[in-house]
Amino acid sequence: MKIIPNKRGDKILSVYWFAILLITAGGIFAMVYIFYGTPYDVREIETRILTNQIADCVSYEGKISQNLISNGIAKEGNENFLDQCHLNFNSPEWKDAQFYTEVNLYKLENLNTPVLDIKKGNNNWVADCTIQENKKQENLPTCLRKNFYSIDDKNNQYIIKILSVVRKAEKNVKI
Amino acid sequence: MKKRVDYPNSFTSLLIHPHPPTRGGKKCIRKLNRNKSGTILIENVIFIVLNVLFLVILILFLYRQGNGAIILEQSYAKNIALLIDSAKPVTEIKLNLGDAFALAEKNGVKSEDIVKINENVVTVKLSDKGGYQYSFFNDVDATTYPDISPNKNYIIKINGYK
Repeated sequence: MKIIPNKRGDKILSVYWFAILLITAGGIFAMVYIFYGTPYDVREIETRILTNQIADCVSYEGKISQNLISNGIAKEGNENFLDQCHLNFNSPEWKDAQFYTEVNLYKLENLNTPVLDIKKGNNNWVADCTIQENKKQENLPTCLRKNFYSIDDKNNQYIIKILSVVRKAEKNVKI
Repeated sequence: MKKRVDYPNSFTSLLIHPHPPTRGGKKCIRKLNRNKSGTILIENVIFIVLNVLFLVILILFLYRQGNGAIILEQSYAKNIALLIDSAKPVTEIKLNLGDAFALAEKNGVKSEDIVKINENVVTVKLSDKGGYQYSFFNDVDATTYPDISPNKNYIIKINGYK
């Protein structure tokens, strides 16, 4: 077999090689730009911490707060109970509150009608949770629902359902 | 009659043909070297140098992106806000901010100005630009200051509920 030395072919190859390098570099630059340009989304952790704090406030060491239910009866005028939970949903960083939380207490015998329904925060974000029930959408607020079991001072059994919502989309998602 | 075999006469061609038709092994390579001229060698050296330069620039770019002020500011501000959110009163948190101290020093930012808490907003500043802010919901009185020794740590103190 005869191989003919071809200098022209080498030059074409060099151009081709540099074109590959440029394409590779372009690809890497684009990937890095997308990766580092996207903010870290910490809202899921934030909703978890918020839920835990509310759970500790509503029921400490497995017993429901006596400010909510005393002698087996739900206390009246506890719509603002969550104000006692050391939560500050207002921030100079945002115009509107970026959080919303809802606590529902159900007796074990009747899981359809809540004994207590307490809320705090910006309720504009609740509708977005319903939209995301089937598929999570990053541009919308992050929602977390948690249920746990607790008892009151008369050992009546309750299911406590907590919904926590954190928006802060501009700081956690590339919009 | 013996057949004459010609070999590619540049390094690049050797790369494309890693197994050139052999006839006598080392002898052939020696023959090949003898045929090369000085100009071809310089061309190849330039080619390799440019490739290495390209790789070095790419690695430096990736390293700088990963350790940039904007990325670190965001990451530390969010971390500190989450730590404060999950902390109970009378807690002292020591946070290793070694990278942040080095970058702040390089950019002329004082160590006392790296982390600031105003109302319920954490601000981390590692360059002479504005810094990054992130708010926390836990209604606590928190203060921050750099640790004296070792000077890579930052102390976040949760004094009590407001």
